[in-house]
Amino acid sequence: MKKLLSLLFISALGILLLYVVANMPPMGDPGAPTRERVIPRYLEEAEEETNTTNVITGIILNYRGYDTMGEVTVIFCALACVLAVLGREKRGRIYAFVDRSTTPSSVIVKTMVRFLVPLIILFSVYTIMHGEISPGGGFQGGAIVGASMIIFSTIFGLWEASERIPQKLRAPLEGSACITFFLVGVLGLIGGGNFLTYAWPRISSSLQPAVVTWLTVLVEIGIGLGGAMVFISILFSMSREEEEIAPAA
Amino acid sequence: MRLLHNYHYIGAMVLFCIGLYTVIVRRNIIKKLIGLNIMETSVFFFYISLGYLDGGIAPIRTGGADPSRMVNPIPQALILTGIVVAVSVTALALSLVILLYRQYGTLDVDHLMRDETAQDSGVGEEEATQ
Amino acid sequence: MGTTLNVVIIALLVATALLAVFSKDLLAAVIVFSVYSLLMALMWQRLQAPDLALTEAAVGAGITTVLFVITIFKTHRREER
Repeated sequence: MKKLLSLLFISALGILLLYVVANMPPMGDPGAPTRERVIPRYLEEAEEETNTTNVITGIILNYRGYDTMGEVTVIFCALACVLAVLGREKRGRIYAFVDRSTTPSSVIVKTMVRFLVPLIILFSVYTIMHGEISPGGGFQGGAIVGASMIIFSTIFGLWEASERIPQKLRAPLEGSACITFFLVGVLGLIGGGNFLTYAWPRISSSLQPAVVTWLTVLVEIGIGLGGAMVFISILFSMSREEEEIAPAA
Repeated sequence: MRLLHNYHYIGAMVLFCIGLYTVIVRRNIIKKLIGLNIMETSVFFFYISLGYLDGGIAPIRTGGADPSRMVNPIPQALILTGIVVAVSVTALALSLVILLYRQYGTLDVDHLMRDETAQDSGVGEEEATQ
Repeated sequence: MGTTLNVVIIALLVATALLAVFSKDLLAAVIVFSVYSLLMALMWQRLQAPDLALTEAAVGAGITTVLFVITIFKTHRREER
């Protein structure tokens, strides 16, 4: 009964949505109203004002920096909630979550993973540092580092992975994305502008492009490092094992 | 015909309806989370295809790229934040699912709701008899 | 050529979404969901959004799938009841 009602509701919603889509302006229209004022202003002024070649990085870090600050706060809150719910892994009682399977990893797989993980981390550093020149950015590099640690901890076990990036190293760096944003914002206040201003009015205008570039790179590195540590911590926290509580069936 | 020209929008709406069906009808919580992810990505898909330009190029100004031929960069910046928020929500929801299984031993929503009401009435009876 | 490729990718997206929803085995559903993420990353590139393609590939096929698989291992469930 519930299934029939929900199917009716979803069909009605689908018909309504199709009707809306049929009356929308055609997709990819070069004569759309936003193409005359909004988009040319962003595309043409972005290179001089933000000193980045990648317009999207210029938008998310410079024009809409507040949105990105909220985004890194959301990542950090998710990590805080996961740690509050599940707790950090304890060094005395971890078992690798893959030990329940029957086949241990062979020598070939272990050698390949040992060879690949440094290359993946090198690629992620390249992605973070080239965020303003080519497609890439801080968050993409952080996710790639997280993926490399996932490969490592799947093949070698949680104990070894937790030895490589111990908790003493991870815990101070998890909030580095939010702290970097706040630092750059306060520096913008000291430099004479508003919060999160990159082009400080107090210094001479010949020095301003260099300062804008350095601050953008600093924010990218902060986001990359913070995002990477957050993903690795979430991974370690979720895959820790402990004694099973009997289910209250 | 306008409807067939906007086939990206149709695809996004169909995916949204599939995700909504999964969240409403399926009883397993992990299936509901997969449906939630499908709904989120379908909305992102709709939003980005709004900013498309016929024959457009990516908004990266290298070489001699012509700014008047680039696609709209603003939806892409907004949806980048959206993808990050979606993965954070998924990570938190999955850790709550682990805790739920540890406490109740089942992931079926109907059994969970029945278990909860049984426990509530059990506590009420004990208090009434004491 | 461009239109045909777009239509094929969207049809495959709908097919993998339906497969992920209607399969009884949870592990199979999650693996098909990672294929859905890959197809979505291809779609971002077709819409000329390379930053989003990189993010979706790294996050969808890397992080989300592994978190789902860890949860399925922990809850001892291979069949949806």
